[in-house]
Amino acid sequence: MILAILKRLLMLVPVLIGITVISFLLLQIMPGDPASRAMGTRASAEELQAMRELWGLDKPIWVQYLYFLRDCLTGSFGVSIFHKKPIIDLVAERLPFTLAIVGYSTVIALVIALPFAILAAANRGRMLDNLIRQIFVVVIAMPPFWLCYVLIIWLALRMGWFSTGGIGDGFVANLGRLFLPSLVVGLSTAALVQQSLRAALIDTMKADYIDTARAKGLRGHEVFLRHVLPNSLISTISIIGVRVSWIIGGTVVVEKIFSVPGLGSLLIDAIVSRDLPVIRGLTVFFAIMVVIVNLITDICYALADPRVRLE
Amino acid sequence: MLRRLNLKCLLLASAFSLAAAAAHAQTLRVAMGYDPVSLDPIATSDNGSIWTQLLIFDTLIRPDKTGEGLEPGLAESWTVSDDGLTLNFKLRDAKFSDGTPVTAEDVRFSIERAASEASGWGRFYRPITSFEIVGEREITMKLAEPFTPAFNNLALFAAAILPKAQVEAKGDAFFDAPVGSGPFVLKSRVRGSRVELAKNPHYWQEGKPFVDEAVLEVVTEPSARVIKLEAGEVDVALDPPLNQLKELDSKDGISVGQTIPYRADFVQLNTTRKPFDDERVRQALNYAVDKNALVQGVLYGAGKPAASAMPVMAYADPDLQPYAYDPAKAKQLLADAGYGDGFEAQLVVDSGAATSRNAAIALQAMLQQVGVKLKVQMLEGGTQWETTKAGNYDMSVSYTTSDTIDPDQIIGFVAVNPERANAYHTQWKSDRLNELYAEERKTVNGEARGAMFKEMIQILHDGAPYIFLYHPASAWAVQDKVKGFEILPTSNFRLEDVKLEN
Repeated sequence: MILAILKRLLMLVPVLIGITVISFLLLQIMPGDPASRAMGTRASAEELQAMRELWGLDKPIWVQYLYFLRDCLTGSFGVSIFHKKPIIDLVAERLPFTLAIVGYSTVIALVIALPFAILAAANRGRMLDNLIRQIFVVVIAMPPFWLCYVLIIWLALRMGWFSTGGIGDGFVANLGRLFLPSLVVGLSTAALVQQSLRAALIDTMKADYIDTARAKGLRGHEVFLRHVLPNSLISTISIIGVRVSWIIGGTVVVEKIFSVPGLGSLLIDAIVSRDLPVIRGLTVFFAIMVVIVNLITDICYALADPRVRLE
Repeated sequence: MLRRLNLKCLLLASAFSLAAAAAHAQTLRVAMGYDPVSLDPIATSDNGSIWTQLLIFDTLIRPDKTGEGLEPGLAESWTVSDDGLTLNFKLRDAKFSDGTPVTAEDVRFSIERAASEASGWGRFYRPITSFEIVGEREITMKLAEPFTPAFNNLALFAAAILPKAQVEAKGDAFFDAPVGSGPFVLKSRVRGSRVELAKNPHYWQEGKPFVDEAVLEVVTEPSARVIKLEAGEVDVALDPPLNQLKELDSKDGISVGQTIPYRADFVQLNTTRKPFDDERVRQALNYAVDKNALVQGVLYGAGKPAASAMPVMAYADPDLQPYAYDPAKAKQLLADAGYGDGFEAQLVVDSGAATSRNAAIALQAMLQQVGVKLKVQMLEGGTQWETTKAGNYDMSVSYTTSDTIDPDQIIGFVAVNPERANAYHTQWKSDRLNELYAEERKTVNGEARGAMFKEMIQILHDGAPYIFLYHPASAWAVQDKVKGFEILPTSNFRLEDVKLEN
């Protein structure tokens, strides 16, 4: 098992080299001069040139690439032109909030999706099943920016149950503060999980070994808890893995509306201000996260299903 | 026994006084749309940083609340010699927030730092070539050759006065916990979320600030700022969406205000391309645009029509009128220039700027009336900037803002060619205007210099390398208990003047 994980980590190396090359080249094509964005309208040509030299933007592309590789290897991922700080420091400031949303929204998603998936599978083809499906179709179709404002206006402004946004000090304060943004993200996850889990449950219930379990004389709920549910959750694991990879960098809208300083808004702000080192550094960082999340997903897979081997 | 009792009484008393102090500790909470990048005055140009710095640091002189003149800051008086080469400042008896006095040595250090290679604003201060420290609280600055804006530039945030000893000792780390002589001192900061400020106990304005603490909450979504205000989570919301102003004002317990800051919005015309090389065409486009309708429709009434690409600031000509809305005249001018049947052109606009986007759609409809067909192309802000800079455009919706009250910086940017931007990438050129620009910078502040600016702005108005649009207002909304909050024409705000009434 450990050997297999090490092997997978080793496979990371060529993937990451590929990612650094692609993200580097793509940014070369992107129009926009970070020096003139940073200096605004007041800079003279000489001042712009001085700034480009300071950041090494005047060097040949391959030299800039080697600098970039060096920064990735030393773990700083480069230095932000705007914040004048190592990118890893910027990431460290924001990562806790992003991870909090990842974890919180996943828990919310499971709490919502599990009972409804079971209920729907148990009543498949009946009214209740259809009703649940329709509701989740509506949930998945709701644009997040709209849902954010609806939740803020109803639950925060009218009812006063939650803060309208921002982050608090400490774990408990943030449990309240991050609930609504996590709910918005979690609802989409819940819709995906509910649909796939329902299908998986129905499939599993038709399997021969379930009949065998029943024939052994196990009671209904025992069959369900010991055999049906664990075997069905495997599809859920992969869906959550994919979602988590996406949430790490993809919740900009939710972050902006709820004023949560997460990684997504860091990336978007960097793109707008042409902070090339941040865009590049974050791209590589996201890539590493995606690979790690995939690895964790596979490990969970292997743990849940003895037929799967990490090779 | 008696001793112990005393001790108990003392403890009890101090507990009560603490409770009393806590009850009176007033915190002003402001929702702001920008996250400050850095608190180093010479390394920044973003609004969030500038506004925060101006609450922590002082400058020698500063723009007054009307934005038309300068008033004393750390300098209580000053003299400028007749030839403009010698500036003398007498400092007031002020202290930094750590209690050390502000000295002439600190002033020299700060201005030299602002002029250094590391400064993004060096060009503004390099004309000051030498300093003479007359006394602990008096300094003379000398220029090698006349450069009138030099005095004004000292009112800019980049010339904030820093404690020399501390900056030298701590280096860049100083700006993580800066010490200034301004009304507030940095208490804590969470990047991307908030800046917490506490009252500077040594502030030189007796009795100010009125509040004990101020929190700047970073809320980048304009609607979210308004919601925070309505929920009572903040006391002040900066820049609420303009279309919500009226509704907000009608709500109980909330009032709104607005100021027209130093900003002008316009459409750049690429004068190297046909038909924009013809002055008549450019003027025709100006006549074809109904600025009042734009102010009503795009700004929801929060602004006023513009007569030039210059913000209305010192030496502005109050009599200069915007181009009248006259489609017939526009058609006539187009016909004279040989474009009686109109023409087609592309208009680029920043897809992230809602106001500019709406203006572009309105312009498309208005210019259609005189036969000009616009193709609107939405570009991401950085790409638009790059496209116009490369001269790769017909028309582009843009704007300019000024950090100082002196018009020298902006006229150099929008009208002088060759200069930094070659008349903001329109490549338009007026020899007379260039001459006046060179002359103005050597002329002492006063009527003669004012006349030069008026003439330059008139030339710019007539030459019309832009479609002049409007000066949009900066708005704010506050809880009724907030008294004395306003945005200044320089776009920043003075929280030391704000009171919270219960």
